[in-house]
Amino acid sequence: MNISTSMIVLIAVMGLFGVGLYCLLITRNLIRLLVGLQIMVKGAMLLLVFVGQSQGQPSLGQSMALTVIVADTIVAVIGLALAVQVKRIVGTLDIADISKLKR
Amino acid sequence: MDVNTAFTWLLMVPMISSAVIYLIGRIFSRGLKNDKKTNPAKWLALIALLVTGIFLYFIITNVFSTGQTHYQNFGDVWFRFDGISMMLSLLVLVLGILVTIYSFTYMGKESGEEKFYALLVMMIGAINGLGCALDLFNLWVWFEVMTISSIVLVAFYKDQAASLEAGVKYLIQSATGSVMVVIGIALIFLETGTLNIEMMRMSINSPSPFLIIGGALLVIGFGVKIAMVPLHTWLPDAHSQAPSGISAMLSGVVIEVGLIALLRALGGIALSGGRWGYLLIGFGVLNMIVGNLLALRQNEVKRLLAYSSLSHVGYMLLGFGVLISLNGLLAGVGAVFHLITHGLMKSLAFLAAGVFLYNFHISKGSHKVLVLDDLNGASKKYPFTAFAFSVALLSLGGLPPLAGFMSKWQLLAGIAQTQNTIMIILVIFAGLMSVLSLGYYAPLVNRMYRKEPADIVMEGESVSIWMYIPLALLTLAVVVLGFVPSLLYWLTGPAGYSLFIFFGQ
Repeated sequence: MNISTSMIVLIAVMGLFGVGLYCLLITRNLIRLLVGLQIMVKGAMLLLVFVGQSQGQPSLGQSMALTVIVADTIVAVIGLALAVQVKRIVGTLDIADISKLKR
Repeated sequence: MDVNTAFTWLLMVPMISSAVIYLIGRIFSRGLKNDKKTNPAKWLALIALLVTGIFLYFIITNVFSTGQTHYQNFGDVWFRFDGISMMLSLLVLVLGILVTIYSFTYMGKESGEEKFYALLVMMIGAINGLGCALDLFNLWVWFEVMTISSIVLVAFYKDQAASLEAGVKYLIQSATGSVMVVIGIALIFLETGTLNIEMMRMSINSPSPFLIIGGALLVIGFGVKIAMVPLHTWLPDAHSQAPSGISAMLSGVVIEVGLIALLRALGGIALSGGRWGYLLIGFGVLNMIVGNLLALRQNEVKRLLAYSSLSHVGYMLLGFGVLISLNGLLAGVGAVFHLITHGLMKSLAFLAAGVFLYNFHISKGSHKVLVLDDLNGASKKYPFTAFAFSVALLSLGGLPPLAGFMSKWQLLAGIAQTQNTIMIILVIFAGLMSVLSLGYYAPLVNRMYRKEPADIVMEGESVSIWMYIPLALLTLAVVVLGFVPSLLYWLTGPAGYSLFIFFGQ
């Protein structure tokens, strides 16, 4: 079985996505959750760049990846802002301590 | 006016005015620290939405006079204004204007009013754009703008632990969903080589695993926003903790927008051999069961309404699933009609609940939740609000002379016309579910009219005129649409048909 570039990239994408998702599932710290999200998004960006390259439209793939970076940064900023506010109001970053709504 | 210009401005006006509203509102609120003067942000927001409405009117008259779909491109990115975009833009603008008027009082005492209106206008603009996007990646961008603005709006009471918690849950789940959508889009692009949904349809000639995986990721990613049942856990928290006007927008439009986005995206890969329609029907059935059963045991009014949104999304999923898998045009038209009436009556319910919440708790500076006991005897002091709330609840439950009955009737009749045995069983099931839902709507009406007034009701403040206007208009709409459903046929027919040709062979 030959190892091609595309296979390496796809495995890397799945790896990044898997690590991010695993991080989301096991961690309870709000900041680490956001880091997990970021890792997942990096997988998606890598895939977009690779897809653009393999379709012969590298500029399209890269511009999509840039757009994803922008959108993702905004999500991260809002997430961190919420984290700051949670720390101020609740006094902890542990998400187990802010689960009061579910009854 | 040239329709191309009008279309450009339809997309541009809300986005530009969002920034303008924030800047001007900010300058005024800094300059007039302890002054009693009102912040101009709310008037600017209302004007921006009305101007957008004027451009929408120009486009709609043009689309009707030429009888065609309007295509427009900005570079390589194509937009398509068809029946479904028209329906979505009109619904979101009407609800947005009413919610803006309602929030004049509701948000009047909050600090950072200008942020609220700027984000609301941005959300409405994003939904306008999403309805017309024909480019898969562009669809995601509009979707993301809408998500981001709604996250901040959900966590608007930034000093309340409960609303922060709802915001965190919403953010994490939505962001995970968005990543899945991006990966799905990339996989579909890898297989078809185009992002234009119409060209994508032509380039697909055989089933492929990448398309199936991509489609599945799209269903999961958009499914978070639609609140399909295993992915619904953010919804009751977000809808109950947001300011009431935003709850109305979230429940009346935003979850339906996820559905429209999913249908647009699936339309591109409809020929890939995946049985997407049956998947949606399955999720619809799950949503009805779980939504209704969980709503039965709620003690908070807004949480109860949020769970009832789940079951109503189930009806829409059922109708659109039948449209995709069995070519049931009438079921699709019925689902579009249910989407509109659900938007109207669920907004009315949330706004009326918000009137109670505001006058009982928020105007006194407390952020307690509105529980069922607070409604006891509310009709004695708030006769009109109680009447509007009852109309909304009975319409949601599907009682005959109201709009909710008509839309459910058209939806179920459309499904029954496919003459498929399983579908007939599903129609009976959906009818029974509608009866079950009365089990939690009717007690609320009973509480308001037949119980002795609670102390909190008698101590409540009186309702301001700005809150009465949207309530009165929505009540009128729900009642009139129940008697004369044909008033909306010009809107639902083209919308259902444009989805139908999107999925046709």
